[in-house]
Amino acid sequence: MSGSNGFEPKIVAFVCNWCTYLGADLAGTSRLEYPPNVRILRLPCTGRIDTNLVVKAVEGGADAVLVSGCHPGDCHYNAGNYHARRRWMLFRELLDVLGFDMRRIHFTWISAAEGRKFQHVISEITEQTRALGPWRAYEAKAEIDHRGGLVGQAVSPATGRAGPAPALQAPAPLAEQELRDLARRLLGAGDVKVVIGYGAAGPVFVTKAADVERLVWNEGCQANLTTYLKRKEVRALGKPAVVVKGCDERSLVVLEKESQIRREDVRVIGMACDGMGQEKCAACDTHEPRFADERVGKAGGQGGKPAARYAAVEAILAKTPEERLAFWSAEFDRCLKCYACRQVCPMCYCERCIADKNRPQAIDTSPHRKGNFAWHIARAMHLAGRCVGCDECTRACPAGIDLRLLNLTLARAAETQFGYRAGMDPAAEPPIGAYSLQDKEEFIR
Amino acid sequence: MSRIGVFVCWCGENIARTVDVDQVAEACGEMPGVRCAQNYKYMCADPGQAMIREKIASERLDAVVVASCSPHMHLKTFRRAAAAAGLNPYRLEMANIREQCSWVHHDKDRATEKAIGIVRTAVAKVRYNHALSPIRVPMTRRAMVIGGGVAGIQAALDIADAGYEVVLVEREPSIGGKMAGLSETFPTLDCSQCILTPRMVEAGQHPRIKLYTYSELESVSGFVGNFEATIRKKTRYVDMAKCTGCGECQKICPLKRNPSEFDFGMGMRPAIFMPFPQAVPARPVIDKKVCAKIVRNGCGLCEKKCAPGAINFKDQDELATERVGAIVVATGYKLYSIGREQPSAKTTGYGEYGYGKYKDVIDSLQFERLISASGPTNGELKRPSDGKIPQSVVFIACVGSRDNAKGLPYCSKICCMYTAKHTMLYKHKVHSGEAHVFYMDIRAGGKGYDEFVRRAIEKDGAKYYRGRVSKITEENGKLIVRGADTLAGVPVTVETDLVVLASAMRPADGVERLAQKLNIGCDEFGFLMESHPKLRPVETNTAGVYVCGACQAPKDIPESVAQASAAASKVMISFSASELTREPEIARIDEQTCAACFACERTCPYHAIERVELRARNGDLIKRAARVNQGLCMGCGTCVSVCPSKSADSEGFTEEEVYAMVEALA
Repeated sequence: MSGSNGFEPKIVAFVCNWCTYLGADLAGTSRLEYPPNVRILRLPCTGRIDTNLVVKAVEGGADAVLVSGCHPGDCHYNAGNYHARRRWMLFRELLDVLGFDMRRIHFTWISAAEGRKFQHVISEITEQTRALGPWRAYEAKAEIDHRGGLVGQAVSPATGRAGPAPALQAPAPLAEQELRDLARRLLGAGDVKVVIGYGAAGPVFVTKAADVERLVWNEGCQANLTTYLKRKEVRALGKPAVVVKGCDERSLVVLEKESQIRREDVRVIGMACDGMGQEKCAACDTHEPRFADERVGKAGGQGGKPAARYAAVEAILAKTPEERLAFWSAEFDRCLKCYACRQVCPMCYCERCIADKNRPQAIDTSPHRKGNFAWHIARAMHLAGRCVGCDECTRACPAGIDLRLLNLTLARAAETQFGYRAGMDPAAEPPIGAYSLQDKEEFIR
Repeated sequence: MSRIGVFVCWCGENIARTVDVDQVAEACGEMPGVRCAQNYKYMCADPGQAMIREKIASERLDAVVVASCSPHMHLKTFRRAAAAAGLNPYRLEMANIREQCSWVHHDKDRATEKAIGIVRTAVAKVRYNHALSPIRVPMTRRAMVIGGGVAGIQAALDIADAGYEVVLVEREPSIGGKMAGLSETFPTLDCSQCILTPRMVEAGQHPRIKLYTYSELESVSGFVGNFEATIRKKTRYVDMAKCTGCGECQKICPLKRNPSEFDFGMGMRPAIFMPFPQAVPARPVIDKKVCAKIVRNGCGLCEKKCAPGAINFKDQDELATERVGAIVVATGYKLYSIGREQPSAKTTGYGEYGYGKYKDVIDSLQFERLISASGPTNGELKRPSDGKIPQSVVFIACVGSRDNAKGLPYCSKICCMYTAKHTMLYKHKVHSGEAHVFYMDIRAGGKGYDEFVRRAIEKDGAKYYRGRVSKITEENGKLIVRGADTLAGVPVTVETDLVVLASAMRPADGVERLAQKLNIGCDEFGFLMESHPKLRPVETNTAGVYVCGACQAPKDIPESVAQASAAASKVMISFSASELTREPEIARIDEQTCAACFACERTCPYHAIERVELRARNGDLIKRAARVNQGLCMGCGTCVSVCPSKSADSEGFTEEEVYAMVEALA
């Protein structure tokens, strides 16, 4: 920037066409001067302002970002700003956990009559950002970390230990036999064409009653098999029965809500489970399946501690933003962009993922830090209010990135802000796509 | 490679004083895809527009950026100019370097630098702008009016007189609404029925108005220009075609003591009845809750007596469908039911006024019937309890209105006027009588309104007390009204024969359900929401659905009629062409990549997302997908944000365009 020897921040303002853009116009017609550091991007509505755009602006070197629209009740499109508000509520929590500098991300409601407010907001943000200095969001010094490549061995920031540890309750051997008998009966009667279950080494797709011995039920049955329901080759086999634990079952609720499966098209075999020794099992409150058509076994009643559900998030929030950013920089620096997290996720069923779309290139494909942050933010946001916490992404990640923590962050936000837990109550309304007039907006000025 | 032309405006001195326009044009000339960049003193003036047109032709430009004022100012102007030169108007963008640059900065270097940045984003965007054409939606030039009160009748007649067919749906057995029951109207005291009934007859006989009385809207599908309405015709037990309206059935019906809905319980009617003599259509209905034939298969006298054989006890509800292009909602109001209805759990209503407990405490619409020449007492004012002519009447204003603690916070607007009217009508009938009015404020804004109130006080001698009534009790056939006169600062006790409560106006029953069917909004009190309180007072947020009359807010007859004509004129504007032209800057969904999660459907404020099944030629289902209804989408783009695969995109602000802008900032 010319005209000044000091640092001149770059402020990017995403504004709606009907209120804040006109408010900025009014500032102009009223000749209300403000610093020229702001670049205003006009979109039809705050509802249109996608979180990816904010990430892109930060990647592009914005030192602060402003999102601004119509006051509640004034939206030109009735409710676009309410939908936006909800999205920002979740997005902010994610950015906070990632260690992004929240002093640089601003939300305001500025009406077409508030030229003066526009002037003040821009002046204040510019001053504040000038004092903060350039935003080096992607230049954090990554914590030295050589643990990459340990499958399922993500380090919990809560405990600092690598890998899961809880004592394992050996599943009842009776349950395995019961499961095989059930599968034999279902396949024999022709009720289902394939039983998707756990095998000795990965999933098995049993299509003949004679093959039911391939099914196992032991402490290794960690995978969430519902992810296979979306696979074309599995669908081609005919009506499936799928073996689920109480936790996996939640994904079926979400998938049904999102019109991906019809409940009557899937036979659900619910396994009572006392835990598979995973981190999530410590806080499990779904030992018994609740919606399954068939039930096998009975849980020993080793209830988890739901209070500890989000302990990992709270632990990382106890660190400073700089430490958080350094932590995630180290995590994401290991990302290979292999998309195993996407492939294994039962909720990632798009035919064309946004990461594979290159017009426009919302997410850089090469595995450098910016692109990695963009991918993991987009993935987490896509799972906001949808992730059932099966932790398959974390288990599948060959780089051992603590993806679970990202998902937990948004699950925690959805539960604390909207009282919603994905897949728990089929009648509950998911937080994204709905809004409430009572939604909190203390972060919006 | 694009061939973009950039035109930098000086806006006289407005831009050129703070922004070095030469430097901006020069910098633009070097931006990728820019073919030519020029500046001119007044781009919006004829020579400026001519320059743009000339360059589009000579340089074969395929996109244009005009760097000047706000797009809210001149985007249409420049897009027209581009279209005149053969360029698709949506391939023109504006860069706002006046309102958002030259007018708010004074450091010329930095303003110039910012202006170049602004133009750079516009240039980056315009490369990706799609050539769009306006969306055309077929228009069924036929309207439906819901509610046959004075507003609905006015709207229906206006639209029908303009040459279009109208379907008028009324849930009561006759059109006429509340106005048909009023005695006389302020401020002229002309008789309500004298002015309304000719309009009712006109509507009933109009060759282009199809009446559905005793009918309710069951459901509506479709969108502007293409609504399909299902109307439930409630069981009447009378064959409308055969009946001649002779009235013999009403005479012979032995069950004559049923409270009349039309008289608000002040009079009685038989089990088979026309609500009032001038009803349109002049056809009776049978009240199935009391008719002896229907209740216990007795009686049946009317059936025997009816010469044309119009009585049909086997009658059943019928569903009719009507295709219409526009819908006018005119469902009117009801009165706040004092003491029996609490707007919220916190409020207590007005139990202390004894409405429902003392027969001689009535509401204003009941009073209208008592003094109406066609009312149950034929215009003689007799009080309900003993039929005596009241020698004193107390009128209490704001019962429910403007009372957050017990009722509703809003002003019902008409009560001050009709209360003044009531005192006059009373005094004209009972010359020696005393009219007392307890009021909070007199709100008499309107042509001849304040004069009217003054006349009631000064000429007809109504006694006005500024204050509230705290309690009404009954003693020896008299009502004791205890209140305060806050201007005099004294408590007031009036011994009276009749009390009339001016209770608040509320939206008619069922309006919230109707609003849901039509996808229009209600405010917290249930009044229907207009699209904009000032500039779009009769439009709603659903294209093709309009509101008028007291369903939108409390209002009097002149205002209702004016609003009805306004709604009718909006309907007629939309009917002026056989196709509706809509802005093409709306959402679209790539059905190939859509994963059919329908997040967009839940989010869309306009219910513009449809579920479609894509099928192969042999009928096999290939996939399901979401599709945007072009008649409903308003282009907010909220669907784009929630679409995980970005299969949804919004024209005018596509993902490519928006990312290009963000990237141009770097």
